[in-house]
Amino acid sequence: MIKTLSTLLIFGAALQAFAETKEVTLYTQRHYAFDETVHEKLLKEKGIKVNVVKASADELIARLEEEGENTPADLFMTADGAGLDRAQKAGLLQPITSPAVIDLVPATLKDPENHWVAVTNRARVIIYSKDRVKPEELSTYEDLADPKWRGRIVIRSSSNSYNQSLMTTIIAANGEEKAGGWAAAVRKNMARPPQGSDRDQIRAVAAGLADLAVANTYYVGLLETSEEPADREAAAAVGLYFPNQEGRGTHVNISGIGVVKGSEKAALAEEVIAFLLSEEVQASYPENTFEYPVNPAAPWSENQERWGKFKADPVPLSTLGELNAEAVRLFNRAGWE
Amino acid sequence: MEYAETTSTARSSPRSGIRFWRKLKSPDSWGLSVGVFTTVICLPILAVLIHLTKAGPEWGHLVETVLPRYLTNTAVLVVGVTVVALLMGVLPAWLVTVHDFPGRRLFSWALILPLALPSYVAAFVFYQGPEAAIPFLIWVRTNVGIDAFLKAEIVIRYGLLILMMGAVLYPYIYLACRAAFSQQGRTLIESARCLGDRPGAVFFRVAIPLARPAMVAGAALVIMEVINDYGAVHFFGVPTLTEGIFRTWFGMGDKVSALRLAGIVMLAVAMLLIVEQLLRGRARYVEAEGSSIPLVRKRLNRGKAATAFLCCLLPLAIGFLYPVGRLVQWSWLNLTSDRGVSLTFGESLSRGLILAGTTALVVTLLAALFAFGVRLRENPLRKSCFRLSGLGYATPGAVIAVGVLVVFGGLDRLEISWMPLFSGTIFLIGFAYLVRFFAIPLQLSRAGMDRLGPSLGEASRLLGRAPFATFLRIDLPLLKGPLLAAAMLLFVDILKELPLTLILRPANFETLATSAFSLAKEARLQACAVPSLMIVAAGAVGLLIMNRWLSPANSHE
Repeated sequence: MIKTLSTLLIFGAALQAFAETKEVTLYTQRHYAFDETVHEKLLKEKGIKVNVVKASADELIARLEEEGENTPADLFMTADGAGLDRAQKAGLLQPITSPAVIDLVPATLKDPENHWVAVTNRARVIIYSKDRVKPEELSTYEDLADPKWRGRIVIRSSSNSYNQSLMTTIIAANGEEKAGGWAAAVRKNMARPPQGSDRDQIRAVAAGLADLAVANTYYVGLLETSEEPADREAAAAVGLYFPNQEGRGTHVNISGIGVVKGSEKAALAEEVIAFLLSEEVQASYPENTFEYPVNPAAPWSENQERWGKFKADPVPLSTLGELNAEAVRLFNRAGWE
Repeated sequence: MEYAETTSTARSSPRSGIRFWRKLKSPDSWGLSVGVFTTVICLPILAVLIHLTKAGPEWGHLVETVLPRYLTNTAVLVVGVTVVALLMGVLPAWLVTVHDFPGRRLFSWALILPLALPSYVAAFVFYQGPEAAIPFLIWVRTNVGIDAFLKAEIVIRYGLLILMMGAVLYPYIYLACRAAFSQQGRTLIESARCLGDRPGAVFFRVAIPLARPAMVAGAALVIMEVINDYGAVHFFGVPTLTEGIFRTWFGMGDKVSALRLAGIVMLAVAMLLIVEQLLRGRARYVEAEGSSIPLVRKRLNRGKAATAFLCCLLPLAIGFLYPVGRLVQWSWLNLTSDRGVSLTFGESLSRGLILAGTTALVVTLLAALFAFGVRLRENPLRKSCFRLSGLGYATPGAVIAVGVLVVFGGLDRLEISWMPLFSGTIFLIGFAYLVRFFAIPLQLSRAGMDRLGPSLGEASRLLGRAPFATFLRIDLPLLKGPLLAAAMLLFVDILKELPLTLILRPANFETLATSAFSLAKEARLQACAVPSLMIVAAGAVGLLIMNRWLSPANSHE
């Protein structure tokens, strides 16, 4: 008991000693091991230490709300545009001022008032079995509701934010009523009730349980380079299709970051954002997490080039946040678990 | 387990209000401390329950659309898992306490090991089951048709989830029944044997009625775990009420409706505890005189011994050997591959162990002191304090986390000069664990004190010792066994805890559970196996120590 207490005390003292260096605290939804590598690089090159708290976006939002101005957080990062929009609507973010940051990011990938900017992006695409589906049979997200796909689609739970964001774009494009009908029809076409992650959906297609899946692009990259042979085989058995290329374009979502309102280290926090957007760091995302860079100067990875260029749905990301609750309501009514 | 058996021994009787008010008017320091402590521990839950009467904007929509499904799923799981856990728990407990067969001593302790396995870890191992069933499902689709295929998929998945949760949770029932059989079964069992009952008849005519209160108490714990589970049901795509809380809160941004759902979950659990009390009726554990003489175990002949062996092996194999075997295999594959996880879990491990160990000790001591304070004078006020303080066990971890944030965020905002800032400190996690798990050491201390009886304490008081000195000199040393058992059980629970830790942790704070969670989020199963295995190993050691302290009868064999 005394021993553990003294260990804790020493631990506390060590923390005190650290307080002298340049530090920022980041609340992030991203669970990637690669982000730690980026933070180590930041410490080495700029001497800025990033203290990290990881949890889901809304858990972090709840925490920021309750901590109020006493929050230790300086930066807030999510893996989904809707989360950033909710944080901003809750008044938790302050505008980024540094022109070096703002000018670097294309207008579609940042908040109009610069409360947040994207760091990476990715597309939500259709994954098909190379054996059983010809790419010519595929066209749009809307087409997934066609009865010809009965019992042939796998897609994860509607409690997942990626699906909620996809649904908001379908509402934005087709209206509420049609979007609700779409969800109900897709639910009927599923080979199994929604379960597991995007990676599990791709595996199910590879194993022959279903012919189509909906997943984010980087999951294919992760499977292609997985340490597990079964994953690499699964990636080889499926193809990747960018839907709605003839129309509004494929749904794109972001990982993004903003400065927490009331942070006493706003300048330092913006320095961190600038670092994340620098060409060198941006070029490392495609190679490691298989997300697309937002800095136009950064090159794509080999597999991203192989998947090909695509047209992205230009719907503003703030729409995702505004229509999110409506999307969940439609999912609930459609019985999409 | 004893702590559950005495869940509500403190039965409030409508005593005269006059005495109640007299106590209130002249509160002694113990009464005051008990009251203040209960208030503090209940504050985060109150911050949540306050929403119970309010319907958020989405409430009507929820009732109309998803609530029926959440309720059905919860009910199916509760019934299914309880049945499986009873099947897996009662018979082995009976076999290892009153019979003798090869492997009995090993099973006697090994059967509790599944408790070391967090259900979210078991889930990602068992999810391989539905994946393995894919060829069969494809066969069904091509030969029988698509509707049969869709039904078969659901049956396999629900079946596996129920089997898995039953196999991980049966130890609660096993422990309770084992205690019941070994403590008070001797006379009855031996009488039945003398009167010529065959073993099968003894089981149904003596063991089952005898174990009924233990079965109910164990089942109540199993049901609470099922209702509060988040990880496993999410993994298997079986949304329950608890998942509904998160979905409403996170997806729809309706915190009020989400917390109302949480309130309903808590009410359901409270009702369960009342039903438990009613079902248990007047049955109480009274240690029969001379029970220190161990029961003469009946040696089984070869055929029966083999059956008994299998009956014990099956739950252990499903709930522990198979999942741990897979974890070992995956960890080995991961660590020997060139792209394995670097072994950075040393820090998570030591930090998690220190946090869980310190919290477990402090919380157990507080619980013992609290139980002692309640027993000093059992008036209705203190009895209600006793019950209220265990409420956290019925509350989902994430909901407690939010309650704790509300309370301490508010406290920080008062900006009282001498008070440190609580936001983002490790203290919040420790406090939240206290709220969440206080019921465990509380019930175990209480059970220990009940067994001790009042005479020793009264003698000490008569000889002029103050209550606190009596606690230190008499109760604490004599209760060493149950208290250490409680601390170990708490230690294992904290080690496994995930949602509360995720929300409240300070910066750069990883425990084994959060490390495992991050890797599982990236769907890196082999890598995830490494920290998962560490949780299981640390938990198993804790459980074995607990088992030793809990069953002195077993330790001096």
